[in-house]
Amino acid sequence: MKQSRIWSWIILIIGIFYFFLPLFSVFEFSMRMVKDKYTFQAYIVAFSDKAFYENFGFSMLWAILTIIVSLALIVPTAYWVHLRLRRIKPLIELITLMPFVVPAVVLSFGLIRLYGKPPLVLTSSPLLLIVGYVTLSMPYMYRAVDTGLRAIDVGTLTEAAQSLGAGWATILFRVIFPNLRVAILSGVFLTFAIVMGEFTFASLLVWPAFGPYMEEIGAMRAYTPQALSVVSFALTWISIGLLQRIGRGAPGQGQIAGTR
Amino acid sequence: MQVERGELVSFLGPSGCGKTTTLRVVAGFEKPTTGQVRINEEDITNNPPNQRNVGMVFQAYALFPNMTVAENIGFGMKVAKKQANEMSARVDEMLDLIHMPGFGDRYPYQLSGGQQQRVALARALALSPEVLLLDEPLSALDAKIRVSLRQEIRSIQRELGITAIYVTHDQEEALSLSDRVVVMNLGKIEQVGTPFQIYNFPETEFVAQFVGVLNAVQAEVVDPGSNRLKLDGQQVQTAQDLSKWRAGEKVVVAIRPERFSFVSEQVKANLLECRIENITFLGSIVRVQVRINDYTMYMDTFNNPYLELPKIGDMVKITCSREAVLILK
Repeated sequence: MKQSRIWSWIILIIGIFYFFLPLFSVFEFSMRMVKDKYTFQAYIVAFSDKAFYENFGFSMLWAILTIIVSLALIVPTAYWVHLRLRRIKPLIELITLMPFVVPAVVLSFGLIRLYGKPPLVLTSSPLLLIVGYVTLSMPYMYRAVDTGLRAIDVGTLTEAAQSLGAGWATILFRVIFPNLRVAILSGVFLTFAIVMGEFTFASLLVWPAFGPYMEEIGAMRAYTPQALSVVSFALTWISIGLLQRIGRGAPGQGQIAGTR
Repeated sequence: MQVERGELVSFLGPSGCGKTTTLRVVAGFEKPTTGQVRINEEDITNNPPNQRNVGMVFQAYALFPNMTVAENIGFGMKVAKKQANEMSARVDEMLDLIHMPGFGDRYPYQLSGGQQQRVALARALALSPEVLLLDEPLSALDAKIRVSLRQEIRSIQRELGITAIYVTHDQEEALSLSDRVVVMNLGKIEQVGTPFQIYNFPETEFVAQFVGVLNAVQAEVVDPGSNRLKLDGQQVQTAQDLSKWRAGEKVVVAIRPERFSFVSEQVKANLLECRIENITFLGSIVRVQVRINDYTMYMDTFNNPYLELPKIGDMVKITCSREAVLILK
């Protein structure tokens, strides 16, 4: 028993080193902009760059638009698949996995070829970028929503609401969505994190975004990109923290039947 | 099939017999291939579930986890856009009805299974539906709660005078709750009747076997005129008219275990000689398994610690009245 506890601690310490040492090194390096001194100079430089806010702002905008389109597309689809089309669930799951199989470069070139010529020219519109991001984040959003739907008895809840006179809009907005809050939020934050750090689509479709900006800064400066990396990590963690906090406040999540 | 106003009708049958499907057809969740569903002579076959004014209680309670007890009960009224004060009064009334005043602010996960099902019942009743549908509402509960809640459901149904259709595979539940019982098998109705009729006068072998414990054995008609049969070589008499059968024809005879008794000296009719195979103590009842040549039969006798029962392997004589010998279709 004692022996196994020692091993647990050893494994935990190795894990901490494996995950946190590189991050700590990046942070430590980002603090060494001024010779022989630890300062936040790299962060000051990063935050004083107007382009940082511009690109960050664009990425935020793309992320929000992607989240809206993803939610509108994926949540009703996943709900309907759970409720009425259980037979095609494996097919839908396979489709949602495709972005893992097809590299982002191939996907973006495909989109450019398909929508770069008539009848539908979208290469000059940010819509194509959003479509690309929706595709890219689809596995995460679908899986998050799917997990949420598995945790609740969608069919019975829908029928219970129907028997009480509710129509589809009421069922979706008052019964299903509130019970998927945590699942939807995890999908939202994952999508947010993916879009904020995405490089390929924004770069190939030539739209300003945080990913290409970081790459550009990385080619020109030594310390500022490290500071930006730390900032981007912090943003992701804040997102996860928010998710945890909101999730904790959701009453009765995952409990449909039976006693506590 | 017609259900009268204020009546509680149970659909009883084994899994897959179609009882839940029938209920779902009434609720509007399934479309019937043929036939119609009418409430108050109005054809609602093609109405969607939310336009039928039927309340439903589900086996898995189906309370909305994101809503409090009060919000759950008031959901239907909120959908129907009722006034807030009317809604609040009705919710309180419903909470009183299910003996849970003061529980309005709790969430479903803070309630026991029995309490959740009572809330589900209140929610279904809040809109005063024309028909209350209950789909095995007690199956997920433990035995003691099941008995108390079924009595509560029955008393609420009687108090409100609401028409109710109750689906169950539990015969005791169906017999104790219902005004009438519909026994179903393989998608068809086998028999409709009061619990008394269903238990005492089953019309088919399936009903006889499914409801209660039953000895169903093959017998040969000896004399249709005097209603005499031969049961594995031993003669018995039935009170049922055998005139439509001819001598030598085979019929299925059913006798409930509790209709048998050990023979006292005076009895001379319907005597069956048999060997005791097993004796099982069931609390208030002792079940005796006997063998009559090729047939194994059961006989129930009330537990009496001062009455000495025969031993396993003993040859005994048992009897039953002519009325206890039923001829099945």
